[in-house]
Amino acid sequence: MATLQAVSLQVALGGRAVLRDVSLELRPGWTAVVGPNGAGKSTLLRALAGLLPLRGGQVLLQGRPLREWSAVQRARKMAWLAQQGLQGGELTVRELVELGRLPHLGLFGTPGPQDRWQVEQAMQDTECGAWAERRLEQLSGGERQRCLLARALAVGAPVLLLDEPTTHLDPPHQVSLVRLLRRLGGQGRTVVSVLHDLPLALQADRLVVLRDGQVAACGAHDDAALHAALRQVFDHALRIERAGSRFVALPDLD
Amino acid sequence: MSAPAARRRRLAFGLALASLLLLCAGLAAGGEGWSPAALGELLRGPDAGLIVGQIRAPRSLGAWLAGGLLGLAGALAQGLFRNPLADPFLLGSASGASLAVVVVLAAGALGGHGPWSGVGLVAAAFMGALGGVLLTLLLARGAQHTLRLLLAGVVVGVVLSGLSDLLTLAVPEALRGRQVFMLGSTGFLGWDGCLLLGAGLALLLPLAQRLSRLLDALVLGEDSARSLGLPLPQLQLLLVGLLAAATGLAVSQTGLVAFVGLAAPHLVRRIAPGPHAYLLAASAATGAVLLLAADVAARTLIAPQELPVGVLTAVFGGAYLLWLLNRQRGA
Amino acid sequence: MSSQPRSSCRSRRRLGRALTAWLLAPALAAAAPPQRIVSLVPGLTESVCAVGACARLVGVDRHSNWPAEVVALPRLGGLDDAQVERIAALKPDLVLAAPGARVVQRLQALGLNVDTLHTRSHQDVRHNLLWLAQRLGDPALGRKAWAAIETQMAAASASVPAAMRGRSVYFEVEASPYAAGPGSFIGQTLAQLGLRNIVPEALGPFPKLSPEFVVRAQPDIVMAEARQVQDMPRRPGWASLTALQRQQLCAFQSADYEVLVRPGPRMGLAAQQLADCLARLAGEPR
Repeated sequence: MATLQAVSLQVALGGRAVLRDVSLELRPGWTAVVGPNGAGKSTLLRALAGLLPLRGGQVLLQGRPLREWSAVQRARKMAWLAQQGLQGGELTVRELVELGRLPHLGLFGTPGPQDRWQVEQAMQDTECGAWAERRLEQLSGGERQRCLLARALAVGAPVLLLDEPTTHLDPPHQVSLVRLLRRLGGQGRTVVSVLHDLPLALQADRLVVLRDGQVAACGAHDDAALHAALRQVFDHALRIERAGSRFVALPDLD
Repeated sequence: MSAPAARRRRLAFGLALASLLLLCAGLAAGGEGWSPAALGELLRGPDAGLIVGQIRAPRSLGAWLAGGLLGLAGALAQGLFRNPLADPFLLGSASGASLAVVVVLAAGALGGHGPWSGVGLVAAAFMGALGGVLLTLLLARGAQHTLRLLLAGVVVGVVLSGLSDLLTLAVPEALRGRQVFMLGSTGFLGWDGCLLLGAGLALLLPLAQRLSRLLDALVLGEDSARSLGLPLPQLQLLLVGLLAAATGLAVSQTGLVAFVGLAAPHLVRRIAPGPHAYLLAASAATGAVLLLAADVAARTLIAPQELPVGVLTAVFGGAYLLWLLNRQRGA
Repeated sequence: MSSQPRSSCRSRRRLGRALTAWLLAPALAAAAPPQRIVSLVPGLTESVCAVGACARLVGVDRHSNWPAEVVALPRLGGLDDAQVERIAALKPDLVLAAPGARVVQRLQALGLNVDTLHTRSHQDVRHNLLWLAQRLGDPALGRKAWAAIETQMAAASASVPAAMRGRSVYFEVEASPYAAGPGSFIGQTLAQLGLRNIVPEALGPFPKLSPEFVVRAQPDIVMAEARQVQDMPRRPGWASLTALQRQQLCAFQSADYEVLVRPGPRMGLAAQQLADCLARLAGEPR
């Protein structure tokens, strides 16, 4: 059974239809959502996270409709990372990552050993433990992004919805992120990431290609039909080539 | 202890010390300017109970408490709007209180003396502040969208101000009283005022601190905070309610004192930033020290005359903001 | 005050007397005329002096400046920013204020005796003079003071040239413009001098008029402070006022103007000032 399912999702923002009849099944592993600008990738992630009202269709989490879940139960099962960054920088890194434990602690709970362990683990996985006591405003954009990622990881949720997690990250850290997402997918978590960077997206287990609010294609990273759909969706501006055991996307200048 | 925590400790200690010193200084500030010698004489004479006990002491303590409420309200406003320029009067509390004061003054002027003046003024200002915020909430249909809330607050502010102006045109006797209210004054604080302010602070600060994690989480953005399972609409409503209550209480006793609510959280963030569990209390303490210092200065700078305390807070606040701007430009 | 008692009997009597005095003190205090007076309203300050109690004033507000004796008294702020501590330190047994001032309740909470008096109309001024005289011990002085005002007003009225009677007048109290309506003490004086007010009674004692109203009403005479009169031709549309064109103006210097706008025992003098101006205007060619 799929962990997360979208059934005929229809979402409108400001009167304009953004998602038209999107149906998806998301299983454990790492799935990348790609598509041209304005395709509705972020909106899809928001809808899956239950942050948007739906004009039609529903989202099923572990087989049950989202609205049957309480906000806290949902928060414990799904961690969502926003595309926009922070609105303020006085917290230390540790305090920020500790916010990830809110679904478990609520407003008044005191952190226990499990919470502390999750926070440490999250900081280690994203390599930001070295500046745990530094304030966020003292960090660079890339460093802050890793802390935000740690915050999402600290929730310890089986489903991770990450909107553009590679923002501000330099290549070495993008590679670390890819390794991390692969590892998390391998552990049985359902990782869904919106990525505009195609070469990185092709490192995922599965890809979902969106165009104009609809699913243009959905398949494993080495699926030829998927590659064809990708070329078409991006107006033949790129070609997919094999590189070792994986595929890469290169600009097609011919 | 980490460096940030050490700074917070130092700030807390500094604020406690400043509070104590200023409260004592407030006892010596009076008709002769700041004069501990005169205080000594006073204490030995028969007037000690009246002048020091009934006038200077409650006025100093009241200024401290009102400043505390304003500082707390400022921190709440800046946390709610995630904007360091937010002040507690943004949601229509100032114009609501001002209108209520004008209504009471006008009714008093039209109907002769009455049960309207005095206690009526304090109660009216408080209810007016709450009423203004309620109107803003109704207009914005809840506290959920901060932009809508902000706009509604502006609209309500303008409309209620206009009504206030209209009323003072019809009943000019109310104009004078309204101007004094708008400028702010600590001169009318007695022990009854201190009791109300103290009870308010003792009630609202712990309540606000229960919401400190929400305010921290809002740094991630509203959607992220919601994705963490927080019932945002209800909590934001509660936040606005606390803000309204703190502002209303302070305004009902001291009128509209500018800049304390804006500057206090700023100063805390500049000196020793931290999560809201600490920031709320520190802002309250800083606001308390600011208003008390302004009150003592108001009584001593041009003694035997008194400066309006609102003028001093505006001058200090304005100077601080200018310095801040200057620093950023140079940096 | 005295030394130790000679016998227990005498000491008990002394105790009894002290107890009675303590119990009756409030009533006694109310009965005896106040000796230390603070006035926070300039008109009331002048009235207190008019009923012969000037020496009993211990503090006044910042605007009180007549008679000369009060200038040296401590200035305690205005009505709305009165300095509570300094007032209390003076230990007054009577504080005079206007109704609705916030300081009233604070002073009463501190145990001071505060009386609030209106000063809006002739009737108020008369009432205040009589009441103050009664309160301060010599009712006859109050009647005398009011009689003096009435005499002066009658004399002023008689001295108004017949040609000026029935003319319409606009008396400006503030530049916004606020006018003196017929219900105000100024308006009542003007009426006694035989002038017609362009402001209808229904608008109240000191209404804020639209400048257009004044222009359309075309008052025969314009009265204001000299400073404001200088600016009037510059106001949009006001150059068309015939009163301005023909210089049918009463422009008062600030000292004189202050007398005109102060509701108190000098209202007779105010009436005379107005009458003098009218006489002057009548003497000029139309």
